[in-house]
Amino acid sequence: MNQKPFVDDIETYAQDIVDTVREPLLMLDTSLRVQSANRAFYETFHVSPEETEDQLIYELGNGQWDIPDLRTLLEDVIPTSSVFNDFELEHSFPRIGRRVMLLNGRKLRAGSHSAIIVLAMEDVTERRRSEADLRAIETYAQDIVDTVREPLLILDATLRVQSGNRAFYRTFRVSAEETENHLIYELGNGQWDIPALRTLLEDIVPKSSVFNDFELEHDFPELGRRVMLLNARMLQAGHHGELVVLAMEDVTERRRAEEEVAKAKEASELANQTKSLFLANMSHELRTPLNAIVGYSEMLQEEAVERELDSFSEDLGKINASGKHLLALINDILDLSKIEAGKMELFLESFDLNTLIDEVAATIQPMVERNSNKLHIDRAADLGGMRADQVKVRQALFNLLSNAAKFTHEGSITLNAERERMDEADWIVFRVTDTGIGLTPEKIVKLFQDFTQADASTTRKFGGTGLGLALTRRFCQMMGGDVTLRSVPGKGSTFTIKLPAIVTEERAEPGGDGAAVSPDVISALDRSTDPHPEPSTCVLVIDDDPSQRDLMKRFLSKDGFCVRSAGSGEEGLRVAREIVPIAITLDVMMPDMDGWAVLEALKADAALREIPVIMLSMVDDPDRGFTLGAADYVTKPVNRRRLSKILKRHSCANPPCPILVVEDDAATRASMRNMLERLGCRVSEAENGEAALAMMQRERPSLIFLDLMMPVMDGFTFAEQVRIHLEWRTIPIVVVTAADLTSEERRRLNGYVGTILKKAGCTKEELLNQVREALDNCAAPRLVAV
Amino acid sequence: MPRILLIEDNELNRDMLSRRLQRKGYEVLIAVDGQRGVAMAQSEVPDLILMDMSLPVIDGWEATRRLKAAGETKHIPVIALTAHAMSTDRDKAMEAGCDDYDTKPIELPRLLGKMEALIGGGEKTSDSEEGA
Repeated sequence: MNQKPFVDDIETYAQDIVDTVREPLLMLDTSLRVQSANRAFYETFHVSPEETEDQLIYELGNGQWDIPDLRTLLEDVIPTSSVFNDFELEHSFPRIGRRVMLLNGRKLRAGSHSAIIVLAMEDVTERRRSEADLRAIETYAQDIVDTVREPLLILDATLRVQSGNRAFYRTFRVSAEETENHLIYELGNGQWDIPALRTLLEDIVPKSSVFNDFELEHDFPELGRRVMLLNARMLQAGHHGELVVLAMEDVTERRRAEEEVAKAKEASELANQTKSLFLANMSHELRTPLNAIVGYSEMLQEEAVERELDSFSEDLGKINASGKHLLALINDILDLSKIEAGKMELFLESFDLNTLIDEVAATIQPMVERNSNKLHIDRAADLGGMRADQVKVRQALFNLLSNAAKFTHEGSITLNAERERMDEADWIVFRVTDTGIGLTPEKIVKLFQDFTQADASTTRKFGGTGLGLALTRRFCQMMGGDVTLRSVPGKGSTFTIKLPAIVTEERAEPGGDGAAVSPDVISALDRSTDPHPEPSTCVLVIDDDPSQRDLMKRFLSKDGFCVRSAGSGEEGLRVAREIVPIAITLDVMMPDMDGWAVLEALKADAALREIPVIMLSMVDDPDRGFTLGAADYVTKPVNRRRLSKILKRHSCANPPCPILVVEDDAATRASMRNMLERLGCRVSEAENGEAALAMMQRERPSLIFLDLMMPVMDGFTFAEQVRIHLEWRTIPIVVVTAADLTSEERRRLNGYVGTILKKAGCTKEELLNQVREALDNCAAPRLVAV
Repeated sequence: MPRILLIEDNELNRDMLSRRLQRKGYEVLIAVDGQRGVAMAQSEVPDLILMDMSLPVIDGWEATRRLKAAGETKHIPVIALTAHAMSTDRDKAMEAGCDDYDTKPIELPRLLGKMEALIGGGEKTSDSEEGA
């Protein structure tokens, strides 16, 4: 009797344990009916004891446990073996959704009770999910590692290989089996047992966790000699512990290519030296026989003259002249190649300029006379002497004079020489002026560009002359001076050489210097180097920052503008008054007098008011600029294209700015062009208003002659459009019309156009006079009317 | 009649220049390399030496240095004949002690001018000698 309460206690005790277990438990009898379940079961499956106890397990919760696998376990496995462990069951339970359950079953016999089956179920859904995630991440990492084209090895802290990537196995032609779990030094018959690698892995990586780009050159048994770039990182990889990732990049080919490039460079330098040497030798070899030809022909000529053998003398003279010409060509080519090779040197000496000019004049005289030209020498009394490379000065003058003689017929060639004081130094200025065919501004620019490209092909194209000009310019630059050219088509050209009266070694620019190879094209047109004030054709850059000035100068020069610059507002105003530029770029932030003050001063000056001013500022504040009368506003840093576009709209790159003839009738257009060109103007044409507007975007005209009746866009609309654009508002428009205008038409044009010319009913002379008058009224000061 | 020593290895140049100088009234002595040139200068003591620079045996610069170092020849003016516009050659020539230089190809009037500046005119001298 005593035993009963005791047994009860035990049973209660057992039930308590069962209820405390956090895993759901089901107790089944051998017919698979639920005897009891624990709290965890009811909580997990959201069911009550009433709907559970005494039910067949398969009937529980609408048959949610009627799972074939479970049936097998309960009906087949348990009766024979009494137990099953960790059966994983994935199943969709109606109340709790899809779950992964780990089932454990035991058949127990508990004292007097009949046998029961304890079914324990562990919900491992979350665990499985995170395990799957982890696996996915690892696979993902492995995929990345395998995708990398560089061979990678993952080592553990003891330098055993955990894994390699595909690239590793492929590159080193090894399998995963012979790699994994091996010490790295054992791999491939110890091919990785390299002292440098040992140091890296054993000393450097443990200390600094990383090494980058270690270059290893090694003979690999399978691959041969390779250059590998090694990178290593030590990683903390969760349960894997510390790992070392070793990445190896085969840079053998790259290094080989680099070596080849270096070798090629060396070879080309050697070739260049060889070329220079060859040229030097060759020129000697060429000159020696030429010396004989020139010398003997000269000798014979002297003798022929003495013996009065006139016909011989003449022919010998031709041999002599041709020989000298050939010699000159050879010398030019040699000089140019020397300049290119940076081997041209200056030989500075002091010499008398009058003597030099006399000699040059005497030498050039026969060439001048050949085209029936006259040579005038005009030299200042205080000319004196200079210190420079006499041979080069002589050659420069000779080249310019022979060029003038070549392109002028029955005209005059003037050599003017004077001494000028500038920037506290004396300069010698030579001007060679001819009355020859002249050059258009486009051709001038091209000419100077061709200068810079004077190579063998240029030589073939231009013959001696092109080289002569190129050399002249280079010589002058070497001596710290330059050559500038001004030309008017049909009227002639003036080449100006400007050299320091005392050339110093420091001043002299080495001939092969990169800067000299690509000279600033437009500096040749830069009026800042010209002491003679003439109508300006320059853009004035006002900026206190010298580097910005320099940059702007480069920008604008590249686009064909001639540039003057000023470093302060005061200086800017002074230069503006002096040269009256075609446009001004104005920095806003300047000390003393800022851009706004300069702008106000410019707009207050009647002589400068019309000059378009483009404000340059770090701050985007265009309204203020426009209010004060700025033509445009550009923010820094300056976009070269944009600036150039704006400037072209406000001015033109190749002054004098053209006169635009807008006229649909080709014959009338041609006759207008003819008339204007004879007045010395540059002319551009458009066949209707639309074409004219497009043209004006590219280049600002100084004056517009406008026909009214045109297709596409007529003159009325065009005039309105022009006046809408602030920057074009000041361009005078002269309407050329065939008939009288109606009052309505006059009203439409009112305020838009300055003058109205009538084509009909007046003679050509009268029209010409009217045009001339329009030119005088509107644009004369800006036109270099010659 | 001024005596000119022409040291020049190129036969044509030598022949040409010597004949032209003779026609201008100079007596011309010839040497074909630097060593012989120096020897001849010492034995003949000419009024002026025209020295090619690229000479065999010893070159023009070295020959000039020797001439200018020796008491009996150092007063003799030496005109270096250098290749066109080779400023290094010219510099070297002046450093070696040359009194002037001229570039090849020879332009006779120019060379004569330089010679006259150093020793007085050939023809003129010979004229005056003949006159005397």
